[in-house]
Amino acid sequence: MTHAPSAPGRGSAPAREHSPVSGPSAGPARRAPADRLLFAAGRPHLWRTLALFATATGAALAALALPAALGRTLDLLLAGAAADGAEAGRWLACCAALTAVSVASDAADTVLTGTLNSRTTAGLRTRLVGHLLAVGPHRSGRFNHGDLVTRCTGNAAHAGTAPGSVASALAALVTPVGALVALAVLDLRLAAVFLAGTPLLVLLLRAFSRTSTDCVTRYQETQAQLAGRLVEALTGARTIAAGGLREREQSRVLEPLARLSAHGHRMWRIQGRATAQAAVLVPLLQVAVVAVGGLLLSRGELSVGGLVAAARYAVLAAGVGTLVGQLNALVRGRTAARRLAEVLEVPAMAAGQRAVPEHSAGGGPGRLELRGVRASYAGEPVLHDVDLVVPGGATVAVVGRSGAGKSLLAAVAGRLAEPDAGQVLLDGTDLAELDPAALRQAVGFAFERPVLFGPTVGEALAAGIPAGREGREARVRAAARAACADGFVRTLPHGYGTPCAQAPLSGGEIQRLGLARALAQEGRVLVLDDATSSLDTVTEWKVTRALADAGGTGGARTRLVVAHRASTAARADLTAWLDGGRIRALAPHRQLWEQPGYRSLFGGGSDDD
Amino acid sequence: MTESGAARLEAPAEAVGTGSADGLAPHRRAGGRHRAPRGLGRAGVRFLLRRPRVLLGLAGWSVLEAAHTFALGFALARALDDGFLAARPAVGLAWLGVAAAGLLAGAWGTARVYRQVAALAEPLRDELVRRVVGRGLYEAVAAAGAPGRAADDAAGTGVVSRLTHQVEIARDSFAGLVMVSRSFLFTLIGAVSGLLALAPVLLLVVVPPLVAGLAVFAGTLRPLARRQRDFLVADEELAREAGTAVRALRDVTACGAQERVRQSVVEKVATERRAADALAYWGVARALALGLGGRLPVVLLLVLTPWLLRQGVSAGALAGALTYLTQALLPALQSLVHGLGGAGARFAVVIGRLRDGAPEPVSDVPRTPVPGPQAAGVPGARAAAASGADRAAPAVELRGVTFAYGPAAEPVLAGLDLTVPAGGRLAVVGPSGAGKSTLALLVAGVLRPSSGEIRLHGRPVLPPLPEGAPQPARRPSPAVEQRVLIPQESYVFTGSVRENLCCLLPDGAAVPGPALLGAAEAVGADALVRRLGGIDGAVDPAALSAGERQQIALARSYLSPAPLVVLDEAGSHLDPAAEEVAERAFIRRGGALMVIAHRISSALRADRVLVLDGGRTCCGTHAELLERSELYRDLAAGWAPPSRV
Repeated sequence: MTHAPSAPGRGSAPAREHSPVSGPSAGPARRAPADRLLFAAGRPHLWRTLALFATATGAALAALALPAALGRTLDLLLAGAAADGAEAGRWLACCAALTAVSVASDAADTVLTGTLNSRTTAGLRTRLVGHLLAVGPHRSGRFNHGDLVTRCTGNAAHAGTAPGSVASALAALVTPVGALVALAVLDLRLAAVFLAGTPLLVLLLRAFSRTSTDCVTRYQETQAQLAGRLVEALTGARTIAAGGLREREQSRVLEPLARLSAHGHRMWRIQGRATAQAAVLVPLLQVAVVAVGGLLLSRGELSVGGLVAAARYAVLAAGVGTLVGQLNALVRGRTAARRLAEVLEVPAMAAGQRAVPEHSAGGGPGRLELRGVRASYAGEPVLHDVDLVVPGGATVAVVGRSGAGKSLLAAVAGRLAEPDAGQVLLDGTDLAELDPAALRQAVGFAFERPVLFGPTVGEALAAGIPAGREGREARVRAAARAACADGFVRTLPHGYGTPCAQAPLSGGEIQRLGLARALAQEGRVLVLDDATSSLDTVTEWKVTRALADAGGTGGARTRLVVAHRASTAARADLTAWLDGGRIRALAPHRQLWEQPGYRSLFGGGSDDD
Repeated sequence: MTESGAARLEAPAEAVGTGSADGLAPHRRAGGRHRAPRGLGRAGVRFLLRRPRVLLGLAGWSVLEAAHTFALGFALARALDDGFLAARPAVGLAWLGVAAAGLLAGAWGTARVYRQVAALAEPLRDELVRRVVGRGLYEAVAAAGAPGRAADDAAGTGVVSRLTHQVEIARDSFAGLVMVSRSFLFTLIGAVSGLLALAPVLLLVVVPPLVAGLAVFAGTLRPLARRQRDFLVADEELAREAGTAVRALRDVTACGAQERVRQSVVEKVATERRAADALAYWGVARALALGLGGRLPVVLLLVLTPWLLRQGVSAGALAGALTYLTQALLPALQSLVHGLGGAGARFAVVIGRLRDGAPEPVSDVPRTPVPGPQAAGVPGARAAAASGADRAAPAVELRGVTFAYGPAAEPVLAGLDLTVPAGGRLAVVGPSGAGKSTLALLVAGVLRPSSGEIRLHGRPVLPPLPEGAPQPARRPSPAVEQRVLIPQESYVFTGSVRENLCCLLPDGAAVPGPALLGAAEAVGADALVRRLGGIDGAVDPAALSAGERQQIALARSYLSPAPLVVLDEAGSHLDPAAEEVAERAFIRRGGALMVIAHRISSALRADRVLVLDGGRTCCGTHAELLERSELYRDLAAGWAPPSRV
């Protein structure tokens, strides 16, 4: 699917015209939902989490015990005949057992962490996608598309690691602290040497992070320049193709590459220096500890085994880095969970269970009535107390300046957006009380920039027909013919079977496919939100005529048409003139045309019919 | 050192695994699953062998790191045996000083190693960027004939993802692979020579389990890489499916298809979870290899200690051997096992995809030398002097031209005959989707007819495709000097006004400033050029309106030496008066003119009008068509006053 409704302005989606008001806002108030979400996501996997906690902590303890056991064994073996052979054997067995435990818990840890993360992540994703679909387009409109996809993919994956991070946190803490304690137990002076050397480590590591960011930024900027040039060139594909300019363009796009390479080399140099600094620190600390240990050894205050153990503990104690990493992962997981919680906090659209009534009291089926409807977008009120009746089978055009709320009115009329107050009635029943499936069967939508979804063009057109319904294909073909889309669909590489992503379609063609999709739905109400704007006048005329004829099985269809052309308004039975979020007039186009204010809506007063 | 190598490798894991929201080209995955790695390996070896000096430098600096590893255990052993245990603490401290010096030398080597790695990773990145850019342009040019290109920005995001995200993953994981395998190799050399120096008999204890561990790891490498690849693919598919659901949310809701869409996303979520699980289970093999190769030797060493002592191995040597095992070999093996499995697969997947379908860097446009610089600048004169074309022959001649997007598709144009005499002016009208732009692209040689023949000035443009051959995916080779097309998109790029105006001229053609200004003035773009700061002013496409972009494209085409100009709604964003100025300029310019009409006024200015309307296509003068074509009457009536877009 390649056709996203992106242009601002004449937004046919219930408006992307306003900037998001409640974006991601961090703060103490936001923490609770994130934790609640993580807790709920982790609960189904409680046993797995506990098992991970047990293995991780067990592995840490084994890792801590091993150097001591090793040292003791070495001492006993070095003592040789002088020592108790049986005791040496016991300690040796202990070493072997600890090693076995290390290997086993290493394996178990990998499996448990991996599967716990994957399960938590999958749960979060499923919940998020389900919720998003239940919230609908209007309320989720404040998040942009890429951002939402990132929340479903990257953020969910990060949040999914949180339970695992919590379970391993104790283990990450046990290792360095335990190693320091072990050093102290061996000899207090060993621990003292270690602690004295540590601040140096922290200072030097901090010096590194300052120098690198600036260089990374410059690298990324150059990269963005290169990408920008390429994207620019891609918009000119036809000019480049027709002019034989490909190679010239290629060298123009690649011009910043030399600079990128220079920045890249500098990044590596800086990183090399930093890595070398970091790589030298822990071993130097270790040498210092061993030196002190050696002096103790020569004075008989420490054994060879003790020295070997001390050397190992110095390394383990320096593993504070792992702890920091673990904490980082946890913080990142919670931040990500907060972003998921923001989406989940948006309430889903209310839905009822009633079926659509057979007939309404007055007139034919398809009577649509808006009663005192107030609606807002992104917190700003847009529609104020709108009352509007569309008689069954009639066509009502909605006209007004951009920003008057036409698209929101269209969305509210078919419950793509919920009104803040007031009711929308279809044949006397409030849309909010209808069963969602029944509602969608009754009301179809066509947009200025439809987004097609589904594996093939044919499937995309059948999206509004419930699965398993008979005669899907025939309905799709008939609808496509009515929308003047059948002709060009059949010129596609595989006709109706062409995958959407591979269908070369122009804006006007996509618009006609959107119309066909809505027609195939065969609802009693059709809402057209500027859905013929990209068609030339002849095609638009053909489509409109077909729409009027295409009563099909359900009799004449009620239509609510958001229009920018005077000709469209002229063809409607009634025109609703929307001004500042209120209905200013509801009358036939011919009547309204008398008013200069109405004429000016169509630009310069002259008709472009 | 080895630890930080592992850290480097973890970072890109997230980058690929989770951040691929923008997705990758879906259809290029299927192919190279099994053949990619082998070709990749060979290409990788070639890439490395082309840089012997870098490899030599890498090995040279790495030897310092090996020396550091060597010093670690050997100095400890000496410090114990000759120093602390021999009651000579000063000697012990001196030996530890040697170890510390070894450390510093090793660190110096590490810093230098990074420069050598840069000398491998940066050229790799450069090569990949060149390929991505080349392929992006190549594909865009090959697909230029598809309608709706101008509105399609998704292709751009895919390429940007490749250029920024994937190329960086390839670069980082490649550098990681080099670091990790190099680090393991030289640590191994350092440790083994250290053991050899301490007591050769120690090798008997250490080497067999290490080899066994490596063998286990080597055995799992391939299946592990496959799992990793499956996971990456599943992750991308999930991102794509979620992307569709999010982008189409309004439409999904309007169609009441929420449940169906939810099901398909949840399915992808489950597939991704299963792939992640499979990857996790293979972690057991990794742990086993690590235990066998890294941890078992320690126990073995202890078990054999009494025997080793009897062989004359000293206490210091034993301590040194333990240091080698726990401090050098185990971490190095850990990095290798974690690094190769993850980064290796990631690298193979990403680079396989980046290499896939990349064009060979050959020239596709035979640039015939065209009018020299002196002729340029006088468009009228040049227009007639097309290289060797027959002046008397019609500018455009179509014989039975049929075009369809695929063998199963109905033709957009069927059996079209058309003649535009040299110097003639044709307007093309018709409803949207009638094939107007297709006709323009056929004449421009961007599309190839399914059957029939197109001649420009008596010379054939592109022969029709052989039966059953797919339409896109082959390079158009337009005869640049014969005709110039201004497509609807009106391409303008960041650069100077001069660069933008001269890009259709032959390489090296120097046009004097006044001539450029003259061309701008002729098409009505002089005010714009002045506003931009004259001929050498900078052009920022984003800051120009659609109409202004069209003016620049018009001036550019006006300057071109081609004797035929095709304007595809080239003035659609200009007001009618400005459009008329531009069109009249092209009439004065001389040469033949083919205009895809946006307004009926264009048709009125033409000698002849072609009405494209499927089976009822007809051609004639404005007056004739008003009589003969119902559609033309409709169009003329509906069009009369200016329409808004």
